[in-house]
Amino acid sequence: MNALILLIPAQSGGQVQQIAETFGVDWPHLVAQIISFCIVCFLLHRFAYKPVLQILAQRRQLIAEDVANREKIKAELEQAETERRRIMLEADAKATKVIEEAHAAAARLLEHETQKAVSVAEQVIAKAKEAALLEHDRMLAELKREIGILVIEATASITRKMLTADDQRRMAEETINSLARAA
Amino acid sequence: MPATASHVRRAAKRLFRWCVVNDRLQEERARAVMQEILKSKRRGFITLLSEFKRLLTIEVAKHTARIDSAVLLEIDQQTRIKDGLERAYGEGIDSQFSQNPDLIGGIRIQISSDVYDGTVRARLVALGASFGIRSA
Repeated sequence: MNALILLIPAQSGGQVQQIAETFGVDWPHLVAQIISFCIVCFLLHRFAYKPVLQILAQRRQLIAEDVANREKIKAELEQAETERRRIMLEADAKATKVIEEAHAAAARLLEHETQKAVSVAEQVIAKAKEAALLEHDRMLAELKREIGILVIEATASITRKMLTADDQRRMAEETINSLARAA
Repeated sequence: MPATASHVRRAAKRLFRWCVVNDRLQEERARAVMQEILKSKRRGFITLLSEFKRLLTIEVAKHTARIDSAVLLEIDQQTRIKDGLERAYGEGIDSQFSQNPDLIGGIRIQISSDVYDGTVRARLVALGASFGIRSA
């Protein structure tokens, strides 16, 4: 500004001087204020703005790193989610396979146990039939024996009453004749 | 006097043969043998006596016929039975007749291990066997 003022032509120097005086400009005072202002600006720039800017730059870098990390984490999360879904699908498939195998094994076991139970039941029935037949035979034999005893006792009683002396003689003759034939 | 079992058997058999003459047991000889054995009282004489008695029992059973009948037999029937036994088993058969009403009817002749059974009881026993009854 001072240089601009010095460059004003001499014929117009008077007007500038006049305007400056009109606005109350005190050149030494103005220069001193300008120097003071420059010093203040330098000091502010040196000890205030620069650290603040450094801090802001660090913050910006941190924010950028955070953003980058967030993106990375997001990607990793997506990858992890994808992996989780894949694992879940595999687990689901394996679980389904295991359940199907368990169902098949249960069906086989049920079939085996059913066949075993049927076999045991058949054996029990066969034994029961055999026991029933044996019991039936035993009862028949017992009945036959009882009937035989009754028949023999009745025959003996009746024969004892009905045999006459001639019958006794005739029977004795039969045995004597058989002895004679043996001789 | 013999001591072992085989010696006793052989001695008893020798003594028994001495008692049999013409296939007939001489009772006098048998009695004499038994008296001599009892008098001797040597070691093993009781065993010898038992063996001799066993041989005598067998021999007596061979010549003894037991005739059981439900009713008493007539004399001519008894005679015919004795004749038949002597023809079949030789002379000297001792026939022992007895009455057994349990036989119901007929007669039963047993000599040694031979049996001629024409009794009603025997037929009932056979009938009982067909019904599975062991004895009637």
